[in-house]
Amino acid sequence: MAKVFIFPTTSLVLSDMVERWGHEALGAAVGIREKIQTPSLESPPLQMTPEDPKKGLKYAAVEVPCGVRGRMSLYGPMIEEADAAIIINDSDLSFGCMGCARTNELVMFMLRQRKEMPLLDIKYPETEDEGIAFVTQIKDFLAGLEGENDE
Amino acid sequence: MSEQPVRVAQLSCGPEHSGVQKEINEAAAAVNAEMFFPDVTLTDIRRSYDSFGLEARSGDLKLAIARAVALVEGKVDADAVFIATCFRCAEAAIVRNELRHYILKHSDLPVVSYSFTERTTAGTLLTRMEALTTIARRRALLAREVQTGTTMGIDSGSATTKAVIMQDNKIIGTGWLPTTEVMNSATGVIEEALKEAGLEMADIEAIATTGYGRYLIGEKLNADLIQEELTVNSKGAVYLADRQRGDATVIDIGGMDNKAISVLDGIPGTFTMGGICAGASGRFLEMTAKRIGVDITELGPIAMKGNSKIVPMNSYCIVFGTQSLVNALAKGSSKEDVAAAACRSVAEQVFEQQLQEVDIKEPIIMVGGTSLIEGLVYEMGELLQSEILVPPRSQYIGAVGGALLVSGFVEEKRKS
Amino acid sequence: MTIKEYIPTYVGTVTKYVFIDSPNITPQTLAIRAYEISEGLMVKETCFGLQITGEPEQVKKLIVELRKVDSAHILVKDRGFPPVDPRRSRANLGGARPGYYGHEFECGLLKFVSHGLEELDKKKPKPVPQMSKKKLDQGKLPLNRLIEIISNEEA
Repeated sequence: MAKVFIFPTTSLVLSDMVERWGHEALGAAVGIREKIQTPSLESPPLQMTPEDPKKGLKYAAVEVPCGVRGRMSLYGPMIEEADAAIIINDSDLSFGCMGCARTNELVMFMLRQRKEMPLLDIKYPETEDEGIAFVTQIKDFLAGLEGENDE
Repeated sequence: MSEQPVRVAQLSCGPEHSGVQKEINEAAAAVNAEMFFPDVTLTDIRRSYDSFGLEARSGDLKLAIARAVALVEGKVDADAVFIATCFRCAEAAIVRNELRHYILKHSDLPVVSYSFTERTTAGTLLTRMEALTTIARRRALLAREVQTGTTMGIDSGSATTKAVIMQDNKIIGTGWLPTTEVMNSATGVIEEALKEAGLEMADIEAIATTGYGRYLIGEKLNADLIQEELTVNSKGAVYLADRQRGDATVIDIGGMDNKAISVLDGIPGTFTMGGICAGASGRFLEMTAKRIGVDITELGPIAMKGNSKIVPMNSYCIVFGTQSLVNALAKGSSKEDVAAAACRSVAEQVFEQQLQEVDIKEPIIMVGGTSLIEGLVYEMGELLQSEILVPPRSQYIGAVGGALLVSGFVEEKRKS
Repeated sequence: MTIKEYIPTYVGTVTKYVFIDSPNITPQTLAIRAYEISEGLMVKETCFGLQITGEPEQVKKLIVELRKVDSAHILVKDRGFPPVDPRRSRANLGGARPGYYGHEFECGLLKFVSHGLEELDKKKPKPVPQMSKKKLDQGKLPLNRLIEIISNEEA
């Protein structure tokens, strides 16, 4: 079983495909769940506090807006932890944890910097044929990953 | 408070991931307001993005645009709008500014926009949120243009405390003292004002307090109106300048922070408040006066005799500003040129940091104690390429605004 | 700024969204199946399907069973919050939480994805253009081709 970073990190289809074929999806929900289930000081809604943008300094300098650094504090450790990544390159309609274009640029850059890591670039399907290609590409990519699981 | 909460629509990108959303909610709750996110659909987001025409890449900014359009089109009801995005994000700054213009142009909703950092606290947001809810809640009170009865306004600022007594639309007593212990300074200025007016405290029919010390003094004196300085100063400025109708811009360079307010019919539309450092405030001019060995009241006339462009000075930070001040004097620059350069530097800071975020419309009215420093007013006029209006008694602006507004309570009190 | 201690609930659990977009199975039918085999897991019906909360291994087992109902039309995703959390509820926010719109967008594409899943083992896909990292000047006319056109025009 490999840990696969998904982009958009909030994607339903990627989260599904990765787990459907026996791997673990690393996305926004995983990071937020950890925040929500950890005792700290109350800071609704996401339980992110001013400490998080400070943690994000590991991934982006202080001159980078706090919203980018806050989001990077969620994604940075996951990018480091990932065994593979899938990027949907036309995810223009993503919000919330994926709502900042600058963060998304930095996340993609960091993923691409990990040159040894298997990475699949795709786009959203817009026809039935593209739908077949979409799931086939993902399945083939996942099948080639270390620790592939059975289904 | 028994009033209905003011419903403030939030258009934002970043506060949830910066730990700031809680601070926004707290500031709103403190002034009996509640934040909400206008409900739109994905179809609305697509449609608004196309029709608005600003090609923001960030999803949350696209969402903010759709929410703004829903407010303007009346699909979602709100009493006020709060726009908040990350400090230092260029994309968000463009969207924030354009949305503010758009909402102000196409609706009656009061708007505050703010760029936050992870250090932004509810305390920082409170005055802005209070002004926003006041504009939404008290339009009738803010529409008052004539003072009636006998009323007192007290403005407890960070540097000075002022009191004004008004009777039948005339100022009949004033008091002015440096702020030391907040309540003592207030008692002092009240005594001065009463003495000048020839009145007793019992003659005062209604009291308003404003400025940093407004809550403390207001509660002690059982004031009828405790109000932040943004709305009060706007009112005071257009009243004293006799420009109560139409557009105006009010600039108040204070002892600790600065305000720039775009006003329509005496009611604030957009405003900015703050300042990175005391280097952009009256405090720097006070230091300059001390350094060149003159009283602050003499600084203005001295500066008018100097040339502000030959001494390099940048008071972005008060420490560096003071350094350039010392260096210039050590190199033999005249005190006139140094005074002028200090005025220019403060004006530049306010211009660069704050006036970019409000719509400057004439007349431009400068108020507060620093408006009496003519060198500063001159430099601001030069930067804005416009003549600046300094109304009589401009240093009493907050106290006058308070006395004027609180007279709205007099008739009611007489009846009861 | 008030400082209050935060005591989390549902610690150690996971919550999964189960989306169903099927011509044959309604969210209600799926819910009934889920209740039958839930073994104490929290199951909540929603307009798009279900939310299931509980101990990770148990949730995983339930999901495997649920997928069998209509594998190509059931999609599952992690959720950070437990169900009906006031911090994310529409009633408290005034509008949908931001993530909702992302789901709304992808749900519009599920018909293609489900088709893909159905056809997966039946046939090899036709090659389709892939979209990788956008290249600068991608799709632009190469310079030598432009010169060629200009000289042809002039001739």
